[in-house]
Amino acid sequence: MQSFNKKNGRYIGRYKNYDAYLNKIVKLSGENEGDINEKLPGEMVFNYGPSAGGLEESVNFKIITPGEKINSVRVDSSFKRRNIKILNNNIYDALLKIERINGYHSASNSICFLLAVENALNIENNESNNKRVIEIELERIRSNLHIVKGLTESAGFSVPEKQLSYLIEEVSRIISEAFKHRYFFGANYINNVRCNFNNLNENILKIKKEFLSIYEDLLASKIFMDRLQENGTVKDINSTGPAARASGYNYDARLDSRSLFYESYKIFTMNSGDVFSRFMVRSDEIFSSIELIENIKVKENINKDYDLNKSGSGNARIESPQGDLFYHLDIKDGKINDIIMVSPSYINIKLFEKAMRGNIFTDFFFVWESFGIWISEKEVNFI
Amino acid sequence: MSQWFLRGIKKGIKTEKNFKDKYKPYYPSKLEGKSDYNCPVNAIKNGEWDENKCIYCGKCDLNPTKDEKIYKINDAMPEMFKKSFYIYPLDSGTCGACNAEFNSIFYPQYDANRFKIFLSNTPRHADALLLMGVYTENMHDVIKNAYDAMPDPKVIIGFGSCALTGGIIGSSINEKFNVEIAGCPPSPYTIISAILKYKGDIK
Repeated sequence: MQSFNKKNGRYIGRYKNYDAYLNKIVKLSGENEGDINEKLPGEMVFNYGPSAGGLEESVNFKIITPGEKINSVRVDSSFKRRNIKILNNNIYDALLKIERINGYHSASNSICFLLAVENALNIENNESNNKRVIEIELERIRSNLHIVKGLTESAGFSVPEKQLSYLIEEVSRIISEAFKHRYFFGANYINNVRCNFNNLNENILKIKKEFLSIYEDLLASKIFMDRLQENGTVKDINSTGPAARASGYNYDARLDSRSLFYESYKIFTMNSGDVFSRFMVRSDEIFSSIELIENIKVKENINKDYDLNKSGSGNARIESPQGDLFYHLDIKDGKINDIIMVSPSYINIKLFEKAMRGNIFTDFFFVWESFGIWISEKEVNFI
Repeated sequence: MSQWFLRGIKKGIKTEKNFKDKYKPYYPSKLEGKSDYNCPVNAIKNGEWDENKCIYCGKCDLNPTKDEKIYKINDAMPEMFKKSFYIYPLDSGTCGACNAEFNSIFYPQYDANRFKIFLSNTPRHADALLLMGVYTENMHDVIKNAYDAMPDPKVIIGFGSCALTGGIIGSSINEKFNVEIAGCPPSPYTIISAILKYKGDIK
């Protein structure tokens, strides 16, 4: 398909029959992921999902088990596969659909899409990029809080779970006040963002103070630590996002972004690759995201009309809360001619399947929650 | 675990008695004004605004009022649900925002349990099936099986513009809904307000 240069770079995921690397997209030749492993005598297939208590989205797990131990698990995410008509749409109609690829990470998706459009049509975007960084970091704070909350819920720790739920809602309200929508829908335009940052720093510092107190209490709990440490360990060179950073790989698109500037950002890594490491990385990233927002300076909005009825190809990659998010676009006379979207959930599902091998049922939800997988962004078929 | 109990007590009560006075989102809320915007989901037709079709993108000239009452109650709630109302959410094909907003009604600020609204982990114990997301072929049988597993009487709640009309993503689940909760996604205010109205707890 599309070669950007000769070097492949690291693996960042798959969309349909294309594998994406940092610098190249490769078409697959009829590769089959295969079915679940044959079960041995004494084993059974335990079916969980696609709709059941404890699952936020519709997804099915086929778990091969002799009883308590899980020998292998296969995630079937195809139940809620959405066919989204986007080809031949103009840029702004397409953007309305892109915002709804993953509502929880809508800012990441819409900004990455717009960066690809701006790259394809050679549009300058200096005025809006710092505002976009604020959006993505607010989204990252909420997403990481959501995952830490999921871990406390899995451990049956109702008090911190409710305290974290409270913080998630407070962050949603901050987003709503700043962008007029709790999920950033309608906030992003070509080189423009609908926003109002009055009281943003003051409100975000309250989140920092509250989270610090919950975080310290959790770290002081031996029971909670015992549930996370050496649980769901996976180290794989083909990792992404916080899961990669939790196993010692310093992969982070914020370090090599072409247009979103993260000058003061310092990457945080752990080495053990277990649920505890992912918890630590995510917690640290809540603090670092707040620090980034505190220190960022935004430029005034400009209202300029851009000629979008042009043609070109472009791409963009950003660090969404769960890892590399990549868009490649081919635009013809202002309409979407071709689109490839690689979300981090593809790789994270593979990592989850690896991490669960040899684990036990009671640890299932810790491991699932720790990867922050969203089925909605994985099961998208652009037509 | 007593240390957690004490830490919880120290934080005080976080549930908002009159949560609607404290904060209300711009979108989604009732829109007012006039617009000749060529709406991609046909939510504005002949000057009329359709709250179920609207995806609350803010691109037209209609103004958000912060009024959360964007729902329709199509029949009376069975009397036996008024003491406790158990809801089983089912995701047919969402972007995840509807899932997150529905869960947020149980967060401390709102605490829907105090209004006798509860989450059911199985359709067998549910009074209402809350459908969200666009129609997806693979979920067709799952939805049917969940509905069949529910005891009578049972109701269906259509949740969000995707479930009600298909929104901008696809087609609607196309069920007849007892309650229609609009929004993309519906805010916690709209959700609680709609259910309380259905229960007859508010006028």
